[in-house]
Amino acid sequence: MSAASCTAPTPASTLIDYWLGELEGEREAKLEEHLFGCEPCSARLRDLARLGEGIGHALRAGHVPAVLTPAFIRRLQASGMRVREYRLQPGGSVNCTVAPDDDLVIAHLHAPLGSVQRLDLLFDDVTSGTHWRVEDVAFDASTEEVVLLPDVAELRQVTVATQRVQLLAVERTTERVIADYTFNHSRYQT
Amino acid sequence: MPALLIANPRPYAEAVRHLPPLTGDDAELARRIAAAAPDRDDAAEAELCRRFAPRIRFYGLRHLRNEAAAADLVQDVLLMILQKLRAREVREPERLASFILGTCRQVVIDGRRGGLRRERLLETFAADLSPLADDGFEALDAGRLRECLQRLPERERAVLVMTFYDERPAEAVGVELGLSAGNVRVIRHRGIERLRGCMQPAEDAS
Repeated sequence: MSAASCTAPTPASTLIDYWLGELEGEREAKLEEHLFGCEPCSARLRDLARLGEGIGHALRAGHVPAVLTPAFIRRLQASGMRVREYRLQPGGSVNCTVAPDDDLVIAHLHAPLGSVQRLDLLFDDVTSGTHWRVEDVAFDASTEEVVLLPDVAELRQVTVATQRVQLLAVERTTERVIADYTFNHSRYQT
Repeated sequence: MPALLIANPRPYAEAVRHLPPLTGDDAELARRIAAAAPDRDDAAEAELCRRFAPRIRFYGLRHLRNEAAAADLVQDVLLMILQKLRAREVREPERLASFILGTCRQVVIDGRRGGLRRERLLETFAADLSPLADDGFEALDAGRLRECLQRLPERERAVLVMTFYDERPAEAVGVELGLSAGNVRVIRHRGIERLRGCMQPAEDAS
């Protein structure tokens, strides 16, 4: 095959499946044959892999705020990341900070999630007067908790702040508050 | 012995890396290298390395999950391929890509990297191929990626982070999120497409 053209471009989803080891046997072998003879597709695979690598780097650098799971946090810790953890029960508050040698800071928000179909988070930054909503977060109801990971790089710039977080169960026409939590953040002091 | 090596004390790859790219297809490169033996067609060899080093490296990363091992694989396979071409042992030049893939598979399966065969090859071809194995893997714009990640819907961001932090398949991510593997794939694909679109707004997100 010419280095310059591809008559049957491989879909990005298939390239990702291949990269993550999800293609089996003959399908994988067939795709590898194609990739070795096709510069455009192998270049697209490189771009996708590079994007994946970038996502990993961004997380390690503390640049990705996200709602995650306890199991994933254990994976981060097992790989050597230093994670400062706070645990809050419904209605709870905590004085929190980020130390210079923390890679990440997370909050375990414990709540009864058993019957929840869709979960939204409502943030209220009391200090700055701003509010925002994060819709439809991924969560494992069986763990009865969600894990909040803030943008650590941004958090390091904050001197003092109070932030309230509400977990909302969203149903077809209504929503209800499951729990709320308060974070009193202050810059790390030795 | 090619004049280039006599005239220039720099390692071979360093000397040929700036040669202009060739436009011929893979078979043409293979034929040129074979035809030049026992001398070297520097331009054709450089082009072959330029073309295949990234593909070999990604094969290595995919199967060995280790940057250093993948770099070794690139060196080993390129050396073997050049040796075979110079010895005119590649019978079907038009199937060069398949031949290189087969060599990759064999090297990975045999676990020969670091073994006697590799040392012998490196002694025989003292040329330093490292610069040619560099596929120009450009760094992403980290600031832009950060912005794009923050713009993603939360569910997609979580799935992408949990997938690509340590390259987990959909099934493993699904177990952690209480989702099916199929559902994770759908969310992952949507997230990747959105991210690509954000990183390269002008590019066709095919």
